[in-house]
Amino acid sequence: MAEVAYDKASRIFSGNPPVRAVDELSLDVADGEFLVLVGPSGSGKSTALRMLAGLEDVDEGAIKIGGKDVTNVPPKGRDIAMVFQSYALYPHMTVAENMGFALKLRGVAKGEIKAKVAEAAKMLDLTKYLDRKPKALSGGQRQRVAMGRAIVREPAVFLMDEPLSNLDAKLRVETRANIAALQQRLGTTTIYVTHDQVEAMTMGHRVAVLKDGLLQQCDTPRALYDKPGNAFVAGFMGSPAMNLKTVPLTAEGAKLDGLVVPLERRALDRAGADGLSEVTFGVRPESLALVGSSSVGMEMVVELVEELGADALVHGAVRIGGAAERFVVRVDGRTPPGLGQTVKVAVRDAGEVHLFHPESGVRLSS
Amino acid sequence: MRRFLDRYWYAYAMVLPVVLVTGVLVLIPLAQGVFFTFTDINEGNIANPVLDRPATFSGVGLVNYLHVLSGDPAYGSFWSTLARTLVWTFGCVLAHFTIGLGLAVLLNRRVRGRAVYRALLILPWAVPSFISAFAWKYMFNAQYGVINQALRVVGLPDPVWLGQSDWALVAVMLVNVWLGVPFMMVALLGGLQAIPADLYEAAEVDGASPWQRFRDITLPGLRAVSGTVVLLGVIWTFNMFAVIYLVTGANPNTRILVTYAFERFFSGASRDYAIASTYGVLILSVLLVFVAGYRRALRGQEAA
Ligand SMILES: Nc1ncnc2c1ncn2[C@@H]1O[C@H](COP(=O)(O)OP(=O)(O)OP(=O)(O)O)[C@@H](O)[C@H]1O
Ligand SMILES: [Mg+2]
Repeated sequence: MAEVAYDKASRIFSGNPPVRAVDELSLDVADGEFLVLVGPSGSGKSTALRMLAGLEDVDEGAIKIGGKDVTNVPPKGRDIAMVFQSYALYPHMTVAENMGFALKLRGVAKGEIKAKVAEAAKMLDLTKYLDRKPKALSGGQRQRVAMGRAIVREPAVFLMDEPLSNLDAKLRVETRANIAALQQRLGTTTIYVTHDQVEAMTMGHRVAVLKDGLLQQCDTPRALYDKPGNAFVAGFMGSPAMNLKTVPLTAEGAKLDGLVVPLERRALDRAGADGLSEVTFGVRPESLALVGSSSVGMEMVVELVEELGADALVHGAVRIGGAAERFVVRVDGRTPPGLGQTVKVAVRDAGEVHLFHPESGVRLSS
Repeated sequence: MRRFLDRYWYAYAMVLPVVLVTGVLVLIPLAQGVFFTFTDINEGNIANPVLDRPATFSGVGLVNYLHVLSGDPAYGSFWSTLARTLVWTFGCVLAHFTIGLGLAVLLNRRVRGRAVYRALLILPWAVPSFISAFAWKYMFNAQYGVINQALRVVGLPDPVWLGQSDWALVAVMLVNVWLGVPFMMVALLGGLQAIPADLYEAAEVDGASPWQRFRDITLPGLRAVSGTVVLLGVIWTFNMFAVIYLVTGANPNTRILVTYAFERFFSGASRDYAIASTYGVLILSVLLVFVAGYRRALRGQEAA
């Protein structure tokens, strides 16, 4: 049990120019917390995790585990367990030996190792496979062995690097729930890396979003979704992605085709202070709604309808300032519009609109 | 049967040349050799078209085997020669393996100029072996060789390396080790590179020291490669004729089974083809027994 802190930690890979894979990351993870690191490919998630594991040097700043500075401590002395994306199971050892390896190295008595392995195996439904070699297991079973190897250690922190990415979609959803439940039960601080924002939203107590090695925002899934701190986070979190468009600004609000969305005072003031004539306007697909042809709204030509069952996603083109912009609207799955039809779209609630600075991407609305 | 041929004739047609060549090149000489071991064939009674002399050798049953296996010095002291062969073989292969593995591990890290080291270490392999053998022979020269000069400088005794003593065996073993290490190194380096890096990382996180990582990740990961190269090494070294003959000639202190068979075949008053062949068959038998035992041991390990 321990809290984890990154204190302006950087990892710089030599090269021309040098790559700041993780750039002055500052992040505090509470004891027992499940923190998800998420970001697009190459954003430095794995590097950040490996720095915490001690597998990657910390070139600047410091890392603390349980209040102790471990910046220069080798992995062995950090009391962490890691689940690798490839699982990295020892191919010549049985499942039981894989799980008990760390304890064996620590000189734990044979009987005790066996008991602990048996207990973890029971928890993960692996009892039947204890004598098998990893190559005789399915992908899902291997994944569980990798988890078991971490659990048996009873470490202060679990580190997981995309542990579900090699599983099929159904198993992934199932395992996702199992990992979250297991973490809840063990109460061990966990740092979990993924590029899948659904995993991030569903599993994490808090989610840290990285881009190009820089921390964009770290907050609860709800807060990230409702109040993304910048345009990148807004576009990254949520599926389908938020509609983000650059639109002209008027005294009344943001001007879209045939629709002026009233904006809150604060956002307008801020935009005015920066002398902006345009803003990045963001609205999630479910915050848009189809309205009757006589109502005020943007005219959208339907180009694609994705039926998801409960909902349907309507993709269409709206003309903004002469150019056609694509919008996605989430509508009731029972009454989707037809292809090629022209529909009217309005914002459900002006409070669900996000405004960002058109250049820096910083959030303007409160 | 008909349908079988109809279906697979092409495959058999493709395999046939190989079968024929193998038969001609391997089985016929082998059969001939085995046949000679039951005769008293030598230079004096073999058919000689130049002298227009017909073959006059005759069958002698198991006499050759009895002579050889009696360990009689007149027939090459089989048992002590076998013992020396085993010392030579396992000594060389052990050194090949440990030195080759050590170098492979060193080269498997990111070191500056790795390509250069690798090329340098493969050099002994690229030089024709008789050139290396003569170079070493010169270096081992008791008076002028660099080895003894160096030993004298540091005040160590300077033995007569290639004389009539066991130093000669030590000397040829050194030469053979030098010649054989590159192969082991290259093969094991290939094996090392095939071990996924994340296994080492997982072991490191699990708390393994460098030595424990070597023992629990590297060695097991090399098992398949090392099983094969050790087997090959044993067979090659057991029959390594060139190095010994080129460096020490027919020195009884470096005599192993193959060199004795060669001596019997090509030198001596009467070239004794029968005894040479008997040695050949015995060498083959020893190796067959070894290979069978070795494979069984490997398979046992696999299962465990
Ligand atoms: N050993 C290295 N040498 C040089 N650059 C590296 C090295 N490892 C990673 N990088 C760079 O650091 C950046 C971050 O890499 P990292 O593996 O942390 O990304 P990631 O967020 O885990 O991506 P993914 O989702 O694809 O796994 C990338 O731009 C990558 O090219
Ligand atoms: Mg990664």
